[in-house]
Amino acid sequence: MSADTLAAVLGLAVVHRAIAALLITGVAMPVVGVFIIGLDVVTMRFAMMHVALLGVAVGLMTGFDPTACAVLLCAAAGASLAPFAGRRDGLSGPMVMLMTMAIAAALLVLSISGVNAAGAFELLWGSLLAVGMRELVLVAVLAVAVLAIYLGFRRPLALLLFDIELARCSGVRVEALATLLLVTVAVAVAAALPLTGALLVDAVTLLPALSARNLARSFDGMVGLSMVFGLVGNSVGFVIALLVDLPLGPILVLTAGAITLLTFVVGRKR
Amino acid sequence: MFVPPVAGACAELSGESAAPALADWCAGLRGAALTIDGLSCRFGGLVAVDDVGLQVEAGEHVALVGTNGSGKSTLLRAVLGLQGRSRGRIVLDGTDARSPGEWDARRRLAPWIPQRQATGRFPLTVDELLDSSGHRAAAVGVATRLGVAALARQPLHTLSGGQLQRCFIARAFGAMANGGRLLLADEPTAALDFDGRDTVAGLLRALPASVLVATHDRAVAARCDRVLEMANGRVREVRM
Ligand SMILES: Nc1ncnc2c1ncn2[C@@H]1O[C@H](COP(=O)(O)OP(=O)(O)OP(=O)(O)O)[C@@H](O)[C@H]1O
Ligand SMILES: [Mg+2]
Repeated sequence: MSADTLAAVLGLAVVHRAIAALLITGVAMPVVGVFIIGLDVVTMRFAMMHVALLGVAVGLMTGFDPTACAVLLCAAAGASLAPFAGRRDGLSGPMVMLMTMAIAAALLVLSISGVNAAGAFELLWGSLLAVGMRELVLVAVLAVAVLAIYLGFRRPLALLLFDIELARCSGVRVEALATLLLVTVAVAVAAALPLTGALLVDAVTLLPALSARNLARSFDGMVGLSMVFGLVGNSVGFVIALLVDLPLGPILVLTAGAITLLTFVVGRKR
Repeated sequence: MFVPPVAGACAELSGESAAPALADWCAGLRGAALTIDGLSCRFGGLVAVDDVGLQVEAGEHVALVGTNGSGKSTLLRAVLGLQGRSRGRIVLDGTDARSPGEWDARRRLAPWIPQRQATGRFPLTVDELLDSSGHRAAAVGVATRLGVAALARQPLHTLSGGQLQRCFIARAFGAMANGGRLLLADEPTAALDFDGRDTVAGLLRALPASVLVATHDRAVAARCDRVLEMANGRVREVRM
């Protein structure tokens, strides 16, 4: 890309919004990823894709705002998982159940209402270069919420994610905290979908958290490192995509993936 | 009943290299009475705890012995509400916990040394574990006594089995200092070396509070006021 076109591209409002979205998600979503790994709900993204789809379908059918429906339904789905958080068998079973039921319900709703299914599926092909102000604000609000939850509950969070019984025995209100976390994670993932698309959510969420886990020795260390990796990955990926003039999404995923690979190698040597 | 003099207890708990601050928390310790009545816990068709009644007086030390799978851990976990009960009463310090708030209070009154210490999916340092006791100074003091204080910055999943057990013991003593009145110790010496067993048996004996300890360690059982034996979910008193 020539210097002139580069300057022109960087002057576009959509690109400004994309950069803002990258920075915000770069800082906050890795923390969500830490929560996701800690709660053992790595399938959260799939589940929320399906639940969000159901939300959009319901929105299209009823005439309510589809995005709002999707976010609300995801929050409800997150909360509905909370009672399972304290069980020994973990959350993966209930997650699969939720996910399959949600997609079935979405298809039923779409079929009954007779709306065009393609409109609903658009949600999954979000793009950073099509970010509207509304989505950006929603993600920014969630980013603040995520960071506030981390800062406000650092000690109980470290215990809860380490071991639920130890947390219980240390006076942590396990049910309340797990509900808060699950709702936040569900809504954050749902809100990030239209920004990044389904594929990229994992790259900005799980990969930095996984990278951090390879190196961190404490909970705080893991959160801090994940944020660094998220920011670095998003920034480097963005610059590379601009310079080589290739689609942003895949380049971001590859950058984050390369970092994770690197931490895995470094982490094993230590 | 043998009641250890508080001064002696403090010396034992803090070791020779006693930090003066240690005496403070240990002087404030006291026991609470536990009464279990008609308690049953089931796992599906299996009755792991079967109509158990037992009493630990305030300040009394009681050992729970018995074959593997006889229900000792299940009983201790039921006292903490980590294990559901199908019937029965578990009254500690006059309260049978039913509401979440009461269980929270119960868990604070009854610190626990788990038989299987969690190493967790997540990094947590020794320091953070000791801190979770609610009384860092006491926990660190006992960790020093047990030789694991130097590991403070080490993540728990990198510790050896015995080191991990020592850390959880130190944490439980810290929790005793933070308002604990009945220590529930589940095989506290199982992973320890010979010296460690002696030290921990001595620490337990010195604790001026109620203790209910499930153990296969004769040295620990011998230092308790009473020994109860569990078999097939039932409890009977034995002479050692
Ligand atoms: N989560 C569980 N699900 C099903 N059965 C269980 C569970 N936990 C324990 N049991 C069963 O309950 C019985 C009592 O187990 P418990 O752990 O209380 O024994 P224990 O006396 O502590 O044994 P040990 O000396 O080996 O520690 C055993 O038969 C065990 O198989
Ligand atoms: Mg046991």
